[in-house]
Amino acid sequence: MSTTTPTLQACRHCGAGAPLDAHFCPQCTKILPLSRQADYFSFLGLPRKLNIDAADLEQRFRTLSRQFHPDYFYNATPAERRASLEQSSYLNDAYRALRQPASRIEYLLKLEGMAPSGPAEAAKQVPPALLEEVFALNEELDEIRELRSGAASPEEWRPRLERARQPIEAKRIEHEQQLQTLAAQWDAGGGPAVLQALRDQFLERNYIHNLLEGIERELHS
Amino acid sequence: MSKVVGIDLGTTNSLVAYVKDGVPQVIRDRQGDGLVPSVVSFGDEGTVHVGREAQRRLLVDAQRTVYSVKRFMGKGRDDVQDETSHFPFRIGGEGGVLRIGVGDREFTPPEISAFVLRELKHRAEAFFAEQGEFDNEVDRAVITVPAYFNDAQRTATRDAGRIAGLEVLRIINEPTAASLAYGLDKRHSGIIAVYDLGGGTFDISILRVEDGVFQVLSTNGDTHLGGDDIDLLLMDRVLKSNPKAGASPESVQEIRKAVIQAKIDLSDGDETRLNGERFTRAEFEALIQPIVERTLAPCRQALADAGVEPSSIDEVVLVGGSTRIPLVRRRVEELFGRKPHSELNPDEVVALGAAVQADILVTGNRDLLLLDVTPLSLGIETMGGVTSKIIMRNSTIPATGSEMFTTAVDNQTAVDIHVLQGERELVADNRSLARFKLRGIPPMPAGLPRVRVQFQIDANGILSVTASELRTEIEQTVEVKPSYGLTDEQVEQMLLDSFENAEADFAARLVIEARNEAENVIHATEKSLRAPDIDQIEREELAAGERKKIESVLAGLKMVLNSSDRETIQKWTQALNDSTRHLAEVMMNRSVQAALSGKNVNEM
Repeated sequence: MSTTTPTLQACRHCGAGAPLDAHFCPQCTKILPLSRQADYFSFLGLPRKLNIDAADLEQRFRTLSRQFHPDYFYNATPAERRASLEQSSYLNDAYRALRQPASRIEYLLKLEGMAPSGPAEAAKQVPPALLEEVFALNEELDEIRELRSGAASPEEWRPRLERARQPIEAKRIEHEQQLQTLAAQWDAGGGPAVLQALRDQFLERNYIHNLLEGIERELHS
Repeated sequence: MSKVVGIDLGTTNSLVAYVKDGVPQVIRDRQGDGLVPSVVSFGDEGTVHVGREAQRRLLVDAQRTVYSVKRFMGKGRDDVQDETSHFPFRIGGEGGVLRIGVGDREFTPPEISAFVLRELKHRAEAFFAEQGEFDNEVDRAVITVPAYFNDAQRTATRDAGRIAGLEVLRIINEPTAASLAYGLDKRHSGIIAVYDLGGGTFDISILRVEDGVFQVLSTNGDTHLGGDDIDLLLMDRVLKSNPKAGASPESVQEIRKAVIQAKIDLSDGDETRLNGERFTRAEFEALIQPIVERTLAPCRQALADAGVEPSSIDEVVLVGGSTRIPLVRRRVEELFGRKPHSELNPDEVVALGAAVQADILVTGNRDLLLLDVTPLSLGIETMGGVTSKIIMRNSTIPATGSEMFTTAVDNQTAVDIHVLQGERELVADNRSLARFKLRGIPPMPAGLPRVRVQFQIDANGILSVTASELRTEIEQTVEVKPSYGLTDEQVEQMLLDSFENAEADFAARLVIEARNEAENVIHATEKSLRAPDIDQIEREELAAGERKKIESVLAGLKMVLNSSDRETIQKWTQALNDSTRHLAEVMMNRSVQAALSGKNVNEM
């Protein structure tokens, strides 16, 4: 038994065939329901690449918003209104995911079937490459907490916490740079090996990000 | 075609506006007044008063008069217990939606708001009829809410519209509406901050305007912070120095009226009198400083969320009556380093924007587009009472999010889901929106079903939920029971009840109209009787006893003025009209003669 992937969808309004990635029927110009084959990149008319020009993305977002927004379908049929809600929700979700480099990588990994499996993998496990730094940080944090419970003044512990932050911050910068290099490799036609490296770097980057946020909370509490 | 309007349903005042020939305009009464106080008062025999009349009754029948009901929209009794003592009416309702007790009747906040909306609807219909419009029915509206309103508060507002017999085309955020009214798209691009401090709520929104698209980048606020809080501070001050002043609910309302006047005086003057004492602007500012400061943290958070420095804000717009306070203006100017816009009346700008949005919806005009955001993150309860976020705050709406669920025991066919809104980690610290049971999961070994629950926030910022089991593709029935809202059935019933009450409302309206007419005649008569040459006129032109007769009919009309018998009021009004006709003629003749003889009318 063989199945062929359909390349056209039928417009529910006029029955004409429309390309799968079309948002409107080329025949009757009515809005089409959201394609099941859509992904955020193709929906916005972008290649599946990590380097996206911010101004271009904004422009695409505004142009498509003007086409889909439910405001303009108030007088339309229920099917068109539903399609408008689906399309504009999808557009907003796509814009949100692709706007920031980090969420863009996360989305690409998901699209390529390499999404981190749940929050446990994403945040809990100490990446081996960071063991040394994390061990040192935890020791420092314990001592600072002890100082604080002994009612030490913020002037005593804040500089120490700030110092403890430095090596982690340095790691963060290092990771962001490596992610950029890998992203460029992916855009240049990188394969599964690049993707795997991206994934590892990305998980470590998230781990560092969470660590820094934790320190930030300690600083302000 | 029936008419479409934009409505600003405010804590203190409400307004209705429409677009004529592309220009938004506030609909006013004959006296030119656009504001309808958001006050509802229940008289004898089921009469309901709304607006100015209800506001007057706050001073004579406070316990049956409801104001600031917007503070209670979408709330439970427990949410507001700190402040129930400040209000003359009863606040009850155990678990679920809050109820307001007036006499022997109970109302939910949407029902009270519906009285205000119906008043606005009538005002607009009367206006269109007067304009000689062919079809003057107003059955559709855009209604504004504070940007920081949660799902329950938005839904309550939509319910109020439905109870008032209005199809609510769209719920839009007040600061966004204000930016539309300012026509800030005329300058092609820029970043705008809208600071909206109203009677009961505070909002800050940061928007980017580009090619006519108003894109909200972030929003923040406090739905329980506004002019009301300033009034309460001032009232406490008066009551502390003069505890006897608060003996009855009515005298408390007298104080409230006085502190509001003092507050208004101090927007222009440096000092006023309050409770018989000198009260300076410096004292006032020292007192309200903490309230103004409370608005600044949300502003900083909104800037951070938008990823914008205060220095990159191109325009600052002020909305809401409380932004007339000089201290508020100063602090906003300091924060953004820019003089705020105040060309438009801060009380009217939101209604004007709502009218613009209503016009966009019905005409399909694509010059402008509003892209708003959801103010609060949406999440669900997971193990250990922790909130797992599904749609983050400041996401452009409409937006979707989904979550996979499975079962914990073999052959389990239902899963409980608890939906929350808020930024906090723990379920207990966030707002419970709804609980529902996901039913109809096909019996399978534990952990095998894959149920995808899809959350959709529409362009109104209101949530809906659908679910499907992916292995069997069986659609699930999702019955969402709102934690602090009304069910569709309840709203329907309230709409039916309101039809039954419509007759009583209509009668009340006729009484009010008769009373207004009577007040006009009283006013004119008293003015004539105060004329400097009245004694001379009586001697030279009036019949014996004519002035006495006028005075006694005047006294009679004043006595029946507050009765709810329309015919009696009309009879006495007619009598006063008749008995003053001759006097009016005489005065008119004298003024014409005086004018002809070159004398200034005012000298007479």
